[in-house]
Amino acid sequence: MRLTILVLAALILSSGVGALAYFFPVLAAGVGQTGQKVNVPLVPGLKATATPVAAPGAPFTVLLLGSDDDSKFSADHVLTQSMILVRVNPGSKQVTMLSIPRDLWVPLSTGGTDKIDKAYSYGRASAAIATVQRNFGVHIDDYAWIGLKGLIRLIDQLGGVDVYVTNPVLDDFYPNDIDVKYLYGYTRVAVLPGAQHLDGSHALQWVRSRHDDVNGDFGRSQRQQQVLLAIRAKATTLNAANLPDIVAAMAGEFKTSMSLARIRALLGVASGFNPANIKQIVLLPPTYTSYGFIGAQSVVLPHWAEILPLVRANFP
Amino acid sequence: MMRRLAMLLFIPLMLVVASGTYLYLGSLKSKVVKEGAKLPTVVKPKFELPGTMYVVQAGALFKLEKGVFTQVASGNWAQPTITPDHSKLVAVQRSDQSSDLYLLDLNGHIIKQLTHDGARIIDANHWAFYPRVSADSSSVMYSYDSPKYGFQVDFSIWSMPLNGTQAQARRRTTPNDHTGGDVNPIPLAGTAVLYVKHSNDATGVRSQIWYQPRSGFLGDALTSAADDCGQPALSPDHSQLAMICTGGTQSTRLEVAPFNGTTLGTPRVLIGGGLIAQPTWSPDGAGLAYFAPAGIVGHFELWWVPVGTVVPVTTPKPTPKPTASATRASTATATPAVSTTAAPIVPLQVTTGLDLTATSAPTWY
Repeated sequence: MRLTILVLAALILSSGVGALAYFFPVLAAGVGQTGQKVNVPLVPGLKATATPVAAPGAPFTVLLLGSDDDSKFSADHVLTQSMILVRVNPGSKQVTMLSIPRDLWVPLSTGGTDKIDKAYSYGRASAAIATVQRNFGVHIDDYAWIGLKGLIRLIDQLGGVDVYVTNPVLDDFYPNDIDVKYLYGYTRVAVLPGAQHLDGSHALQWVRSRHDDVNGDFGRSQRQQQVLLAIRAKATTLNAANLPDIVAAMAGEFKTSMSLARIRALLGVASGFNPANIKQIVLLPPTYTSYGFIGAQSVVLPHWAEILPLVRANFP
Repeated sequence: MMRRLAMLLFIPLMLVVASGTYLYLGSLKSKVVKEGAKLPTVVKPKFELPGTMYVVQAGALFKLEKGVFTQVASGNWAQPTITPDHSKLVAVQRSDQSSDLYLLDLNGHIIKQLTHDGARIIDANHWAFYPRVSADSSSVMYSYDSPKYGFQVDFSIWSMPLNGTQAQARRRTTPNDHTGGDVNPIPLAGTAVLYVKHSNDATGVRSQIWYQPRSGFLGDALTSAADDCGQPALSPDHSQLAMICTGGTQSTRLEVAPFNGTTLGTPRVLIGGGLIAQPTWSPDGAGLAYFAPAGIVGHFELWWVPVGTVVPVTTPKPTPKPTASATRASTATATPAVSTTAAPIVPLQVTTGLDLTATSAPTWY
């Protein structure tokens, strides 16, 4: 009897060691890439930190940050090409996405007034969060940052994404800065319209190109939201056994203040969302924004009288 | 002694269990990541389509005939189209920076390079896509990114003699700036052409199907910007137009409308929802082939759907009127209401596991 118990215990232990080895990359990433601490300066009327405060099952808001190729810049001093506020309501299974124009001219939490994409480069995630919180009057529970290569690898790990491309995206000056020695070259891009399957590189071309978009960065924001939805749709077909590959592929290209528990909960609720319950907001001109020049810089000027009621209604 | 021996034997067993657990967990991965596309030549279609069809998978050109795929060319090919006499193909060969039109025989051998769009200076390169040969086989229409000005790169519809040179090519349309421009030309009898024009409104860029009676004329929008329709396909008898419409969403509808040569009748929805691409008429006009994802992997597969009868156009429907300049967004609002068919139409999946290139319409004769 005792021997049987010992044998069983040893076999269970062996099985546990095998499982531990399999999920080790996930655990390592959990320590290194999730649960990042950020100290967000106090904002009157708002909660103080970006650490998780929402109770389990309660709505929460995440600031998604997508960055330019960081090899052009010193580590963690990158511009955020993409800033998307995402509010998730697990109870009602509703998601709201609001894209913040990267050239939005706002007071930065680090001081002075500049384009909002510079907040991260001056003060990393805490500055980006504080700047958004102060200007938009919204509380942010967490952030998630992904680099360009991280997005490519994530989509490739998902086996590509299926999207509907509304119009040809043609760009003669697309940055040729991924896995090349000279980071300031250009290449040509032509993404043709219609439903199609995109791998990571082509999906990045689609969401990053902006030179020939009649709506500039706003058009790009709409494409970014569509790829996010396509990623969500594809991610719902994955399971825990896929996590080590995904984590390994995104090593160094992903950081978040979310804990592993929150990420797991987020993935859990993501599969239950109906696309009809996902609201997409882009601060299109002329209602919410307008183009302008500050000095020699082309910027996007916010119309706060229109923006703030919209934010209050969708990010209570 | 026996106990020690048993323990020694037990250690390998523990290693086997640990390794087995590791491998078992690996085997539980979703097929989405693991499942690559198969070569069409190793796949037997679920049923035999009539005639001959050409499709593209990852730059390779395949012929589907009598239920068998045969690879006829490899090397970044796209958008094959058959000549009206069914004797040759015109297809696009794409590189990183440019694309060119080629005349091919039916076995994929190059007869002639029609365009020369490559250049050493990056922005001196050009794209040529969507070739279509005119009914008399005298010319080929296509989308070409010229003229372009700095960041502004938009497709216009161009036409060039099939037996001529690119220097003889002439531009037919003026695109709306920074919208991506005009694509998908379909030469009609005489000098007319159907094509897709993109325009911008308060919600984003939308596509419309336009009719241009002759070069230099603005023509008419046949669909509204709100309907967001593109990828037109004209039936063999030119009496019906199939198209993909989205209504500005990420979900597509396959619609068919009667066409009297200049005007569209009331469209009906054949299939609604999901992602549908590149409707292509069967040689007898009885059905449409198209691409759509199948299964959780999301590979675009070949499907077929019967069309049935469509009430012909008897009186011209109100068509959207464009604004005065082709370079401005259309204000079209008068697209006929969409009617749905009474009997359910069941699409049939023709291929499995292929991941066909959804931006390259099949050509079928």
